[in-house]
Amino acid sequence: MSVAVCLLLYSVAVVVLGPGLLVRLTRAGVAPRLGVAAWLVGIGSVVAAWAAGAAFLAAELARDWTRPGGAVASACFAMLQQAALGRYGMLVQLGPLALAMLAATALVVLTWRLSRCLVRTRTSTHQHARMARTAGRHLDGLPAVVLDAPERLAYCVAGRPHTIVLTSAALDALDDPHLDAVLSHERAHLAGRHHLILAASRGLAATLPRIDLFTTAAAEITRLLEMCADDAAARTHGSRTVLAALLALSGTAPTPSGALGATGVEVLARAQRLAAPPPPAERMRARLALTATSILLAAGPLLTGTLAATGLALCSPMTGFPMTG
Amino acid sequence: MRGFGDLEAVVIDRLWSREGRTTVRQVFEELSLERDIAYTTVMSTMDNLHRKGWLARQRQGKAFAYWPTLTREQYSARLMRDALSAGRNSDLVLTHFLQQMTEEESATLRVALRRLASTEDPE
Repeated sequence: MSVAVCLLLYSVAVVVLGPGLLVRLTRAGVAPRLGVAAWLVGIGSVVAAWAAGAAFLAAELARDWTRPGGAVASACFAMLQQAALGRYGMLVQLGPLALAMLAATALVVLTWRLSRCLVRTRTSTHQHARMARTAGRHLDGLPAVVLDAPERLAYCVAGRPHTIVLTSAALDALDDPHLDAVLSHERAHLAGRHHLILAASRGLAATLPRIDLFTTAAAEITRLLEMCADDAAARTHGSRTVLAALLALSGTAPTPSGALGATGVEVLARAQRLAAPPPPAERMRARLALTATSILLAAGPLLTGTLAATGLALCSPMTGFPMTG
Repeated sequence: MRGFGDLEAVVIDRLWSREGRTTVRQVFEELSLERDIAYTTVMSTMDNLHRKGWLARQRQGKAFAYWPTLTREQYSARLMRDALSAGRNSDLVLTHFLQQMTEEESATLRVALRRLASTEDPE
């Protein structure tokens, strides 16, 4: 019991303190790959703490059930007996059982919703890729399909095969070196399997929209992955070329009103790192901080569980369930 | 409207490339030049496309004549709309090189980008 409570408290701490800390560490995009990793480890840490907590709770209950005359089973009989006599004192002892059932149900519902969300995303994304390949034009020597549209748009869609889509307006706006930079940016997304990371983080955010850690993570990961792809393109084509491509595609186009307000700010942040890359000392500092945070977050559930199991952490007032049988 | 399967995509592509109305036999004759395919397969594919709303049809003698309900251009516009709203309120996961923005944002951004781009080569 106390292990599960400790793990729950740990996850609450990460959920509350994590977003602020991670945003501060990753905001500038100094080491975007490590930034993405830190966010993913943060999310994973919370989910792992929940799963481990539920598993501990279940294991303790199972042990009590299977033991002849175990606490829960006898509590059940005793409660029936006492209820028959008109007393409900034993109901209290069924508390942990109800709690475990609740936790297990929540976990199952969560997993179900998340997997449905992921399947839906995969279907509609693959569908979009196939439709774009069908409706789009295929030009010789261009590893992308072209859709006629007035918006300057370049994007890639996961599918079978993965597809890079350019609009005719984007193609007109780009010179050859810039086009190569855009294509290599998109290829970096595909090679890095960024769509999987995005689908997972957005799926979790959509499943649990009230948990700030997950929604912030989805948004920040999206931003950081763009920077990762920028860096990949800049390595081959030079950061000036990538910057010029951003400039070429940022032209106005008829867009639905009320478009994303934060977009301009985010693109500017990308442009700033391309124009003036951070000095090596700052990069090293960011890498160290992110690596340390990731290690701490990765070890968190294990550490908490161990401390609780050995009785070193006193985060549970419940002493009715001793750890050793 | 639901999406297409692989063969359905091939068929709708054919119909988009042709003018006017098309019968199953015409599509079958075109396709059988390139691949091993049964007449009934083409027929059921076109029937599916009709059921899904992609094709309209009218009886012509013993057979049906089909035509797409959306042109390739209309369909491209629809894909664009999906692409623009991706990530906000849809299940679509795309990685944009640059997200679309309002005219005002775009103008501000371009001024800032030009300043950044000219920091090293002053002209």
